[in-house]
Amino acid sequence: MLSRVASHLYWMSRYLERSENMARILDVTQSLAMLDRSADSGGAMTPIVITEAQAEFAETKLPATYANVIAFLAWDLKHPSSIRNCIEATRENARAVRGSITSEMWENINDTWIAFQEKAKNIDPMMTGNEFFEWVKERSHLFRGVTFATARRDQPYHFTRLGTFIERADNTARILNVKYAEEAPDSFDEKEVDKETDYYRLSAVLRSVSALEAYRDTYRDVIDARRVAEIMIFDAKLPRSLRYCMDETTLVLDELPSGSGRIARRIASEINAKLRYGTIDEVLEYGLKRYLADFLQDMVKLGTAVNAAYMEMH
Amino acid sequence: MSLVLYSPFLLMHAIKPPPFSHFDEMLAWSEAIPSQLQTQFQIQLQQFGGQSQSQSQTLGARQHYVPYSNWLADTPSASLTQRRAQADLLFRRIGITFTVYGEQGGTERLIPSDVIPRIITAEDWAYLERGLTQRVTAINRFLADIYHDQAILKAGLIPREQIEGNSQFQTKMVGVKVPHDTYASITGVDIVRNNDGKYYVLEDNLRVPSGVSYMLMNRKMMMRLFPELFLRQTVRPVEHYPALLLQTLRESTDIDNPTVVLLTPGRFNSAYFEHTFLAQQMGIELVEGQDLFVKDDYVYMRTTSGSQRVDVMYRRLDDTFLDPLAFNAESALGVPGLFQAYAKGNIVICNAIGTGVADDKSIYPYVPDMIKFYLNEEPILNNVTTYQCRKPTDLSYVLANMKDLVVKEVHGAGGYGMLVGPAATAKEVEDFAVIVKANPSNYIAQPTLSLSSCPTFVESGIAPRHIDLRPFVLTGREVRMVPGGLTRVALREGSLVVNSSQGGGTKDTWVLGGDEATPAKNAEGK
Repeated sequence: MLSRVASHLYWMSRYLERSENMARILDVTQSLAMLDRSADSGGAMTPIVITEAQAEFAETKLPATYANVIAFLAWDLKHPSSIRNCIEATRENARAVRGSITSEMWENINDTWIAFQEKAKNIDPMMTGNEFFEWVKERSHLFRGVTFATARRDQPYHFTRLGTFIERADNTARILNVKYAEEAPDSFDEKEVDKETDYYRLSAVLRSVSALEAYRDTYRDVIDARRVAEIMIFDAKLPRSLRYCMDETTLVLDELPSGSGRIARRIASEINAKLRYGTIDEVLEYGLKRYLADFLQDMVKLGTAVNAAYMEMH
Repeated sequence: MSLVLYSPFLLMHAIKPPPFSHFDEMLAWSEAIPSQLQTQFQIQLQQFGGQSQSQSQTLGARQHYVPYSNWLADTPSASLTQRRAQADLLFRRIGITFTVYGEQGGTERLIPSDVIPRIITAEDWAYLERGLTQRVTAINRFLADIYHDQAILKAGLIPREQIEGNSQFQTKMVGVKVPHDTYASITGVDIVRNNDGKYYVLEDNLRVPSGVSYMLMNRKMMMRLFPELFLRQTVRPVEHYPALLLQTLRESTDIDNPTVVLLTPGRFNSAYFEHTFLAQQMGIELVEGQDLFVKDDYVYMRTTSGSQRVDVMYRRLDDTFLDPLAFNAESALGVPGLFQAYAKGNIVICNAIGTGVADDKSIYPYVPDMIKFYLNEEPILNNVTTYQCRKPTDLSYVLANMKDLVVKEVHGAGGYGMLVGPAATAKEVEDFAVIVKANPSNYIAQPTLSLSSCPTFVESGIAPRHIDLRPFVLTGREVRMVPGGLTRVALREGSLVVNSSQGGGTKDTWVLGGDEATPAKNAEGK
C-alpha cells in the first residue's frame, strides 16, 4: 500500500476520534456547568486545558465562559481541532483515499460531512448541547461499525484502527491528567471533602470515557478517585482505557509490514508492558501527574516512529 | 388552423414539444398517426373537441422510444419527482462531484444527472462503432507516423509547419519507440447529431478524456431507481468498462503481470472523483507524483513495505506536468526523471506523450485524409466542415459570417475561449473578431450545427435540451468499446454548450440490443 494512503487513513481516523473525544469532553463540561451554578471561569477553561488550546483561545479575546468555550471548541474554523475542522479533515483525508476504503465507509463519512454542513448553517452555541454531542459520538460509532462490518482485514483497515487507538489513548490520558489530577488532587487522601461535588465530578470523568457502567460492574461500590484512575489506566476490558488502547495498538502493529516497523513495535510493546504489569499503587506512589506526563511523552515517540516507518515520503 | 395532437404521455407530464425543424432523439412530428397510438389519439381527439383530422400534425415517440414513452405514460409525475430526488441524494452521498475552477476554494458541485435516458438503436450504434474503430485506428497510425517516418508530411497531405509548429507536437518524442505503436490507448470522441439526422464527429479527445465515470454512475443510478425499465427493453451493459480499460492497459506492455497505476494530479483536480473511481474499479493504485520516484531510469512507488516497480501508468495529467526535468520545470505534480525512464522503454505511459497534436482543432480537418492515407478506406463518420483561420480565404469567410459560425480556439477545451455566433450579441461578435484577427492561426470555425435534443427534466417540467455523445474507445491489441458512452446535455434553454464546467448535465445512454429490430425509416445517420 502507498505510504501516502497509509498516512491519510491514519489521520482520517485520528481526526474522527478527536471529534468524538471533543464532543465527550464538551458534553461533560456542560453537564458539570449545570451543577456548578457559580459558573466560575476556571471550570469552563478545563476543556481548553485538556486539549491544549490555551493559546488559540486567547487569540479570540473572548471571556472564558462556558458558551464561548463550547462555541470555540465545537465550531470555530480558526481552531484546528474544533469539531468542525476535525470533521472537515476526516472527510478530506477520506476523500484522498476513497478508493482504498469501502464505499460504505466513504458514504458514511460523506453523510456526516453533508449533515454537518447543514448544521453549520445555523450555529447557535446556546443550542450546542447534549443532542449535538450525542450526534457527533453516534456518527463516530457508526463509522467504526461500518468499518468493522465491511472492511477487509488488510492494511487499510489496520491503519484506520491504528489512528483510532493512538488518538484515543492520548485523549484518555489527557482527561485523567487535567480533569482529575488537577481538579481533585486531594481526593486520594481519605479526607471527607465535598462528597457530593466529588461524586459528580468523578462520575462525569467516567461518563466522558463511557466507563460509568463498567465501574459499577467492576467495583459494585461507591465511586472513589483511586478506582477511577485504576479503571481508566489498567482495565484490560474497557475500550477507552490506556491498557486496552495499547493492547490494540500492539496487535495492529503486528499486522503491518514488519521490515520497517521494528522501532514502532518496540516502543508500543514497552508502553504496553508498563500497563500490563503496573498497578495503581505504584502509579500513585510515583505520582499520577508525572506518570501521565511520561505516558504522553511515550505516545509522542510512538507517533513519530509510526510515521517514520510507514508514512514518510523520502 | 391545424390541430396539433400530442400523444398521452406528453400531456400527462407536460412535456414541451421540440420545434418542428429540430431533430429530437425521442420525439418526432409526423403527418400520420402511428397505428399503435390510433386508439389513444381517437380518445384524445374527442377530448380536444374532435374536429377535422385532415390538417393535423402529430407528435409521438420514435419507434425505439415507444417502450419508454409507454412507461412514462403509466408513471405518475409524483413518482418521477420522488425518484429524481432520490437520485440527487444518492449522487450527493456517493460524492460524485466535480470541482469548479475559478470559484472560491474550488467548490465541489454535483453533475446534474437527468433521469430520461438517451436511447440509441442497435443499428445506429453498429454504424458508430465501425466508424469509431476506423477513425481511432487511423489517428494512431498518424501519431506513429509523425513521430517517426512522417510519410504523411512527405506526401504533402498536411503542411509540415502545421505539425512541427504545433505547440502540442512534442519534439522530444521524435524517434521514441512506443510499444505496439499505440499512442492513444483511451480516446473520447465527441459526436453530435445535426437536424439532418446525421452524426458528425465534433472533436477527438486524445489526451486525458474524462467523463466515463459519469457514464457508469448514470447507469448504476438508473438501474437502482428504475429497475422496471430494464425489463422492458434490452439495454446493452456498460459496467465492464473498467475491466476493458485494465485489459487495455495491461496489453500496452509486454511484461507479464505488470504493475499498473493511475496517476492523478490530486484531489483538487476537477475529475478527481473519476480518478478514484476508476482506480478502485480496476483494483490498481491511485498515485500522485509525490508517491513516485525514478531510480536508475526505472519508476517506483513508495509503499508501506518499501518501494515497488511501476510498469504501466494510466496518467490523468497533461504532458507538460509529467516531468519537471523534461517539460514544465514548475510542475510539482509530476515525477522528476519520468521522461527519461519512458524514453528508455522502462515504463509505459497511457496515453503516450505527444498525442495532443492529433486532437488539436487545426489537425481535425485532416482526419478524413488520414483514414484514406493510412487505411485506404473511405471515412465512415462525418467530419464537420471546418474553416481554418490561418488560411486567408477561410479567415475572410469567417470574419464575414461570424454570426452564423461557431469559432473555437485551436487548443481550447472545456467550452472556454469560444464564440457561438447565433447565440452571441453583435458586440460579442465584434469583440471576438478583433481577437481572431490578432492571431488567426489560433482559431478555426465551423457552421453552427443544430445539436439534436432530448426531453430533459428542467425547472418548468420536461423540455427539449441539446445533447452530444462521447463514446470511449480503447486501443489495446484490438480496438474495444462499451456500447454508447457519455451523453452530455446543455441544461440551459437553447444552449449548445454541454461541458460540465459550463452548466451541462449528463444522461444515461442506452444502446438497444440487436434483437429489437428497428424499421429502416428510423435508422438515420447513414
